[in-house]
Amino acid sequence: MLDRLIVQFHLKKSYLLLGLVFIWIVLSRLFQGTQTLELPVSENTSVTTAFGDAAASIRGNRTKSPAFIYFFNPIRVGINGFVQVIRTLIAIPAPGSIIPVIGWLGFAGLIAFAVYATSNWRTSLLATSLLLGCGALGMWTYTMDTFAMTIAAVLLSLAIGIPLGIWAGLSDRVLKLLTPILDLAQILPTLVYLAPLALFFLIGAASATIATMVYSIPISIRITSHAIRNLNYSPIEASTSMGATTKQTLAKVQLPMAKQMIVLGINQTVMAALSFVVIAALIGAPGLGKPVVDALIIRNVGQGFVAGLAVVFVAILLDRSTSAAAKHQESFIPPTPKQIIRKRIKLGIAATVAIVMIFLSRAQLWAAVWPEKIDFSDAVARVTNTATNWTTTNLYIFTVGFKDFISNWVLNPLEALLGGSPWYVTLLLIVFIALVIGGVRVSLLSLVLLGLIVLSGLWHDAMITLTQTIVATLLTMTVGILLGILIGRNNRAEKILRPFLDAGQTLPAFVYLVPMLGLFGPTRFTAIATGIVYAIPVVVKIVGEGIRAVPATIIEAATAAGSSTRQIITKVQLPAAKKAILLAANQGMIFVLAVVVIGGFVGSGGLGYLVILGGSKPDLQGKGLVAGLVILLLGVTIDRIAQAGAKRA
Amino acid sequence: MKSNFGKRSAIAAVVASLALVLSACGSSVDKASDAPAATDCGSWGIAMHAWNGYTASAQVVAEIAKKELGCTITQTTLEEAGVTYDAMEAGSVDLVIEDWGGGRWKEWVDRGAIEEVGPNGNIGLIGMYVAPWMVEKYPDITDSKNLNKYASLFKTADSGSKGAWYEGPPGYTTIGEKMISANKLNFKAISTGSEAALIDVLTKAEANKTPALAYFYAPQTFFVKMPGLTKSRVNFPANDWTDAAKASGLTDYPETVLVKLATTKLMSSGSAFATLVKNFNWTNDDQNAVAADIEAGTDPAAAAQKWIDANPDKVKAWLG
Repeated sequence: MLDRLIVQFHLKKSYLLLGLVFIWIVLSRLFQGTQTLELPVSENTSVTTAFGDAAASIRGNRTKSPAFIYFFNPIRVGINGFVQVIRTLIAIPAPGSIIPVIGWLGFAGLIAFAVYATSNWRTSLLATSLLLGCGALGMWTYTMDTFAMTIAAVLLSLAIGIPLGIWAGLSDRVLKLLTPILDLAQILPTLVYLAPLALFFLIGAASATIATMVYSIPISIRITSHAIRNLNYSPIEASTSMGATTKQTLAKVQLPMAKQMIVLGINQTVMAALSFVVIAALIGAPGLGKPVVDALIIRNVGQGFVAGLAVVFVAILLDRSTSAAAKHQESFIPPTPKQIIRKRIKLGIAATVAIVMIFLSRAQLWAAVWPEKIDFSDAVARVTNTATNWTTTNLYIFTVGFKDFISNWVLNPLEALLGGSPWYVTLLLIVFIALVIGGVRVSLLSLVLLGLIVLSGLWHDAMITLTQTIVATLLTMTVGILLGILIGRNNRAEKILRPFLDAGQTLPAFVYLVPMLGLFGPTRFTAIATGIVYAIPVVVKIVGEGIRAVPATIIEAATAAGSSTRQIITKVQLPAAKKAILLAANQGMIFVLAVVVIGGFVGSGGLGYLVILGGSKPDLQGKGLVAGLVILLLGVTIDRIAQAGAKRA
Repeated sequence: MKSNFGKRSAIAAVVASLALVLSACGSSVDKASDAPAATDCGSWGIAMHAWNGYTASAQVVAEIAKKELGCTITQTTLEEAGVTYDAMEAGSVDLVIEDWGGGRWKEWVDRGAIEEVGPNGNIGLIGMYVAPWMVEKYPDITDSKNLNKYASLFKTADSGSKGAWYEGPPGYTTIGEKMISANKLNFKAISTGSEAALIDVLTKAEANKTPALAYFYAPQTFFVKMPGLTKSRVNFPANDWTDAAKASGLTDYPETVLVKLATTKLMSSGSAFATLVKNFNWTNDDQNAVAADIEAGTDPAAAAQKWIDANPDKVKAWLG
């Protein structure tokens, strides 16, 4: 009885949605091209002019205003100094010297020892080979700069994130206060907050470090508070009942118990910081991001690939060694004194070797500066360039055909609907759709947020970006669900695909922006294709896990009842994994949005282009800042509607 | 109950700090090597912009400053204009060797952060170019009056009912929308985002004999690869660039005298590097020679050195 009601209700809901879309299409046809609020790229509105003036006055006050003298400038100088100290340790020549404090051999020894001491020799070997691999790619100094930037950002992030996380773990009030901020920080596309940060902290390592921290602190707060909150309650109770103070319980019981999870949080923080290195290069971060961004600008796929490969190496290195450290569990049988001694001797030997290597790297030039002869970057770049050229010239006809098909039959009609209708039609229909999908609160929220976008004057650009985000999400979900079903049902496929998914998640989107440009030219679809590639791994993983989580008993029952494989997938597994699929769609959309705006570099237009334009044209700086804000508004709108929809489903 | 992990990380920390202690001891490498002695030239930063022509000029200056004057030079890749001027004001960069921007740095000059150091000798010419094969097939296409006649040829999935007008990258001087309206053209400006994209558009169009109209500029080594481009610039009616009041009626890009910008700090330092910056001046051909080598895959430093070795007289004149 209840089931039938739900089914009926669902039918009504989808009819309602279809009806709304139909009305939308009719109104759009009637009023096509009127009151679209389209604004020429080079023109400002009163809002963007106001932002531009504000930015100019901030620039003018940098040396005079007390806010700068006593707040922003000291922070900048402090962080710059901190980064510089780490850089002189491993990356750049120390003052009065021609080599860094620790040369390549010394750093390799240090990494090998640190990983050995915190996990095992196998991981240590892997980490060391990956590190030397970066050197062999001719990227040693860039890699060390990336290490320095990552270390600086992670140390500062943890110094803020772990205490806040512990606090949020202990107090519900703090958690409630922090949650919306954390949500916002995770929706915010990275491209957006670079310009405002550069305004206050100028171009350079300080801005880049702070930008990275904005991205990675929320993750460490979240995982730390989660770790504290999900502890087994009985030891805590026991400790309290034995008269321990809150402080004692925290220090002696809760923190040691949560330690493993917190180390996992460190792992996630490191990965988040690392994923930022490329985009941070746009505001002057030293490191591997620099050659990647250069490669985009001068169109050298090979060079970008070499640097991107080094990023992936560093990512695997840091991921494996930190997660191995987290997993490194003590067994329940305490080690015998003999085992302890043996282990200590081994560590002692390893430490001695590492110290000798460090010493050598300070005393011998060959051990200090990476040997020039060991550099395979040209070969790798040449092979990549040849392969890409072949692909782009030979597949161009097909890729352009596909691009034109999607552009003419999906992208253009949707853009006509969203951007070509009068603004009030689009706004009201999105609000109504939000009402049907997510309820009253969400629809009111979208009304306010979309209203703000209209006021900003960038409505039409926002609709162009929204169109691309929707199309990219649809395509991502189509491919993602298919692959997700595959890896969810088939262990072998999972094993084969997993490394590609992992690599896809760590490879910076900038790296494949250039080949995409070769395949599709400077068009909206290039941005869409890049967004799809970037978002697919996450969607596939979530969908795959959702399918896997369907209890085996249900599938057995269905098989026993004589269902075919197709029936099991469509009637049992997919409906049961609905929550995971909706979650994947939500995540996918946020990922896609983040990349679609980077697509401004390859011709996507819309808000991302305005952000980039604002960074380089002083008279459009205000417009760029406003465009960043609008991306945020758009992201929150999409996220809230999708989440409310998922909760109701 | 101290865990294994804690102990191990403690040991790791001890080794790390030992490494630091070790590093406090003097390193024999420094003593052994013939590090260039720190002279009174000082240490300066050069902004590096993305295009090859810029790289050529900046690298030549950098090599001379390092080898002849003993300066410490850092090169920082930066976006053009605002970003760079901010970096100059902040003190992390001291020199822009080639700026196309027609006074966009005024705000920073007014604040006393940077100053214009005069022309660098290169003349920039921006324009709209059709794919060279089109000039042969439609000889009158380079006259802007005929562009509307051919507009339908340039239609793409992205430009809708109008012709696609591939606009220059964000950092570059672009007036596409204004040109389209001033010349009453049935075209739509499509943002390309990067120089790479423009080269891609023109290369593909020429190879596949498909139509394309794109922003491009000289000096640029791409002209060596696609010589036909010199004849495929569309001629628009000239306009008066200097009068800001007429800015909405902009019809074409004028020739631009490219200038050097430097921080006031550098120019008033009395450093030999300031003299080099003040005197540096070379022709489009000079720049193209170095840029072509870089484009062909030579390391920029080596390409610059090659030119320096071949032109000792010019270098000597710059050193003052």
